[in-house]
Amino acid sequence: MNAATAERFFGYEHAFTHPVTRGIVIFLVSALVLTPIIFMGLRRTVQIAAATYAELWARWRSWIWISMALIVPILLGAAWVIAGVFMLSLLCYREYARATGIFREKMISLSVVLGICLISFAVIDNYPRLFFATPVLGIGLIAIVTIPQDCPKGFIQRVALGVMGYLFFGFSFGYLGLMTSDPLYRPLILLLLLGVEMNDVFAYCSGRFFGGRKLLLNTSPGKTVSGALGAVVLTTCMIVIVGHFFMFPRTPMDHWPMLLILGMGISVFGQFGDLLLSSIKRDIGIKDLGHLLPGHGGLLDRFDSLVIITPLYYHFLSLVLGPLGRGQAERIISGGTLP
Amino acid sequence: MNDWSLEPARDHGLRGIERHRSLVRENGLATSCMRFILWCCLRPALSIWHRPRITGREYLPSSRPFILVSNHTSHLDGILLASLLPTSWRDHVFPVAASDTFFEKRPAAAFAARFLNALAIRRRGAHNHDLEEMRRRLTQEKEVFIIFPEGTRSRTGEILAFRSGIGRLVAQTNVPVIPCHLDGCFRAWPPGKHFSKPLSVGISIGPPMIFDDCSDDRAGWDSIAKRLQAAVENLAGRQQASTLPGAADQLP
Repeated sequence: MNAATAERFFGYEHAFTHPVTRGIVIFLVSALVLTPIIFMGLRRTVQIAAATYAELWARWRSWIWISMALIVPILLGAAWVIAGVFMLSLLCYREYARATGIFREKMISLSVVLGICLISFAVIDNYPRLFFATPVLGIGLIAIVTIPQDCPKGFIQRVALGVMGYLFFGFSFGYLGLMTSDPLYRPLILLLLLGVEMNDVFAYCSGRFFGGRKLLLNTSPGKTVSGALGAVVLTTCMIVIVGHFFMFPRTPMDHWPMLLILGMGISVFGQFGDLLLSSIKRDIGIKDLGHLLPGHGGLLDRFDSLVIITPLYYHFLSLVLGPLGRGQAERIISGGTLP
Repeated sequence: MNDWSLEPARDHGLRGIERHRSLVRENGLATSCMRFILWCCLRPALSIWHRPRITGREYLPSSRPFILVSNHTSHLDGILLASLLPTSWRDHVFPVAASDTFFEKRPAAAFAARFLNALAIRRRGAHNHDLEEMRRRLTQEKEVFIIFPEGTRSRTGEILAFRSGIGRLVAQTNVPVIPCHLDGCFRAWPPGKHFSKPLSVGISIGPPMIFDDCSDDRAGWDSIAKRLQAAVENLAGRQQASTLPGAADQLP
């Protein structure tokens, strides 16, 4: 492992070098500190039902844990991010599997877990060609693993459910780990997380403010057209401003069309990720996928927005800026050549 | 085109100790793997530490569901009986354990549920609903239950009167009930002690009994409990006869 790789994996000393990392961490910490003050102020001025008040506090407490779990590994180094993404993939697959019933097929779950291990290995190893081969390898394994049971009844359903879980929660989330191959992974990942989380907040706020027609009544009765459009406008503005002034100055990304595509992409596909998980929940007929985060539901109810956008974000930036992580040592464990 | 059957885990929405206690508990890959490791360690440990002498192994059915019924003198009983069954059935073998002993505190409940796959039953005031649920698991999901109808560990080593709950579970079903008798467990690990002594134990297994003709009422349940108790006592007598030379003459 050369010095640059060691620095990327474990170098927490330079965590705050980039202005975007600094800015987002300061923004998040101040938001978490200010929120209780706003709650208490609201309670004094407006009448809030006790149940709503308790719900707000539960959400705030969960947010503290979520923010810690997201921010601390990103600041500590790439190794921690990869470990965190591995755990996130496993826990999200677990919630999905228990909700859809695919957890009863232990061999399918085992294959998905092995696939997630392979993805994490490809990311630690910094072996992009292996990473991009993992969908084919994983799907192949999931498809063949139950054939020897000689029970073709339900084959299509169990393979399809396994493949879907693997692609969304293993491969798609794996891109968060893959982004750590770039020395600028901290601001890149934080910008994506800020984008999708603020997108949710903007959608909620503008939906409450404007109200109006429902977006998709059968899929997610709480969402309105005005909320979705408001989120697109506000998130795009935010990404364009942060991108232009702090994240991508003097790079090929620093053009208005590119920044607009990035901002709108994060907003639109973030919302599609949300709707995708809502569709799964409506199809099964359950309200929450899990119960890990009081006030939010399961992990997937919180991280649903990342399912579609993460690979798109990676590939879009790679197209415009050149492959992320270019010039870094590859195949650190499996033994590759230095560039 | 057929609709898919998307059935969430039956215990979806339950957390912590509530989930461990739940009769509808369903476990996934992680628990199954932990259980596999436990049994891989526990089997050799039991055979070295307690050197079980097993008679009547041929009476154990090769397909599920069925119920193992035995006398109860120690914490060893459940794991000894479970160790007779294949490791591949580890997620389908449920020792039925008292809720007030094993499922009061969270660490004990987690151990009992995750590793031993114990199913919590209230000794007093078990609802009809609970028994219905157990009957459903037995007949529809084809599970194996290990039940101690005495309801508690015998404090003297003698067999106590069997309770009728077992009858309510199997009356008018064709689920085989296999009577077993455990000998030496009381000496190895009597109630009140923290560890078991390395003494040899005997396990005798009797022929399966089916109660599809017994009426599903109080009289039927009582008669099932009596017949099972007689079968276990019979096995106990035979075991004594085989282990103590000369004692056979005193048997009727």
